[in-house]
Amino acid sequence: MRNPAGWAALTAFSLVFFAFIYAPLFVIIGYSFNSNPVNMMIWEHFTFDWYTGLLGLSNRATDVSNRAAYVESTDQMLAALRTSLTVAVITTTISTVIGTATAIALARYRFRLRGIYNGFLMLPMMMPDIVLGIGLLIFFVSIGMKLSMLTIIIGHCTFLTSYVFIIVQARIAGLDPALEEASADLGASEWVTLRKVLLPQLAPGILGGALLAFVISMDDLVITYFVSGTGDTTLPVFIFGMIRRGVKPEINAIATLIILASVVIAAFGLWLRSRKAD
Amino acid sequence: MSALLEINAARREFVTPEGGRLAALDGVDLTVGANEFVTLLGPSGCGKTTLLRAISGFEMLDSGTMRLGGADLTVLPPFRRPVNTVFQSYALFGHMTVARNVGYALEVAGASRTVREGQVAEALEKVGLSGLGARRPGQLSGGQRQRVALARAIIAKPRLLLLDEPLSALDRNLRQQMQLELKTLQHSLGIAFIFVTHDQEEALTMSDRIVVMRAGRVEQIGTPRDIYRHPRNRFVAEFIGETNLFAVTVDRIEGSLALARTGEGVEMHLPATGRSVGERVTAILRPTDFTLGNGGIPGRVTRVVYLGSDLYIFVQPQTGGPEIRVIARDGAGTEEGAAVHLAHDPTRVHVLEAM
Repeated sequence: MRNPAGWAALTAFSLVFFAFIYAPLFVIIGYSFNSNPVNMMIWEHFTFDWYTGLLGLSNRATDVSNRAAYVESTDQMLAALRTSLTVAVITTTISTVIGTATAIALARYRFRLRGIYNGFLMLPMMMPDIVLGIGLLIFFVSIGMKLSMLTIIIGHCTFLTSYVFIIVQARIAGLDPALEEASADLGASEWVTLRKVLLPQLAPGILGGALLAFVISMDDLVITYFVSGTGDTTLPVFIFGMIRRGVKPEINAIATLIILASVVIAAFGLWLRSRKAD
Repeated sequence: MSALLEINAARREFVTPEGGRLAALDGVDLTVGANEFVTLLGPSGCGKTTLLRAISGFEMLDSGTMRLGGADLTVLPPFRRPVNTVFQSYALFGHMTVARNVGYALEVAGASRTVREGQVAEALEKVGLSGLGARRPGQLSGGQRQRVALARAIIAKPRLLLLDEPLSALDRNLRQQMQLELKTLQHSLGIAFIFVTHDQEEALTMSDRIVVMRAGRVEQIGTPRDIYRHPRNRFVAEFIGETNLFAVTVDRIEGSLALARTGEGVEMHLPATGRSVGERVTAILRPTDFTLGNGGIPGRVTRVVYLGSDLYIFVQPQTGGPEIRVIARDGAGTEEGAAVHLAHDPTRVHVLEAM
């Protein structure tokens, strides 16, 4: 039996819930098209200027009187984006390979301290980012390693490997062990079985893990903030620094582009998951 | 009969969760002939699946030896053994087409595409799935998947095919049809099958020989008829088919017949061969061994189960003792409460000397 009042309340609650989550995103997207350079909360008229400015296609800048400073910051932002993408691609590759290999090893082979390995792999995920960030910073400083893109990559790999591991492990747990036995039974060595049966069967999990690792790496602020040097900075760290110097309308445009990229990646991930892997 | 597979004194122990040791195989000897259909039968946990996995190489023996066609198998890994398996879960590769599944053994062995295509088509035809090669296993019915698993296992022409309860997931009609098809296929391939099941009816229908196992040991090996008519002990007698067991004492011997009596006073005739007066033995009679007539054990029908052309009736002997289970023709005087006499042919009685 449906209680009309209860139903209405539930509907209202759901709408409010989604409004809370999505309203800020739509506000940002909306204001990214506002041409008012001084006070972005007051709507002037529609413009693409902030987007074209970001890409270096137009000269309109927040502070028209200080064009040189603005152009410099655009270059810095593009450099940060490049760093972010480079870091994300490299860390995704490394953590996917290590995470997948570890998940297979822990699921399929028996050896001493297996349970302890399992626990250690979960730890970086549960540890607060700030603790991991400080820990990594102290570690790099103590061994005399200069903060650079390399330290960012190492820092990201430490916890992204865990994410990939957990996702691939869940996939292996749901796999019929008889599949690998059938392959061996039909004459395939362990290596051939890995290549022809196990990896293809795990592919959706591996891709899902890689996608997650990529998105988290692109998005990470706290850990990167600690382990990035003066030279190489990622997009989130750059945006964070930009906001501290005052919010410029370009930030809305950057945020909107990031939202767009995230939606595309998430949609791709969902599509991969929905492909039935039986 | 030339021996294809010879297993001697096979032992395999597992550590139980409580830390104890459990012998899944406790000194198993088994010989399988080149074209034989052998069934491993027993309750769950009897070691039949462990024995099958030991033959395929997924379990290594702690001790004992295993030879196939004279070559030592004992320490070979699964992918070097010339035997193939049909798995209970079928274990089809979901990311490959049916044709690639079936041709997997050839692909791994490095056969050329044309050779593969020809043999895959041939194997699919043998199991009645011609034309389905381009499908994915996920698009097939349970029975069709079963046939793909079968085609995949026979394509490399093994001399021995292992089947691990392959029919257990199928419904009854399909299972019976597959039983006959498997038997036909085994004949046409001319290879040995080792079939694991806990279904005694399936074992009786299909096997040349049945190996009855319990607790890691072989209780009896014999033809279905042997096992059914001449079980070696109570366990085999009760596991295979419906059984009436009578603990009797031999009263007297009259020519070729011995008259025996249960503690409650139920009287029956046994073959006299080997019997002596005063001896205590177990007499075994199957439900179909009784006929309803004027002579024999007097009793009353307590329950009737309708089977179709036959009836399954429970008869309480007048003198007392456990109910006797009888299969009788539907008809004369078989309603509940009817007074009946159960006659039997003394030569049909199987005698166990151990109690």
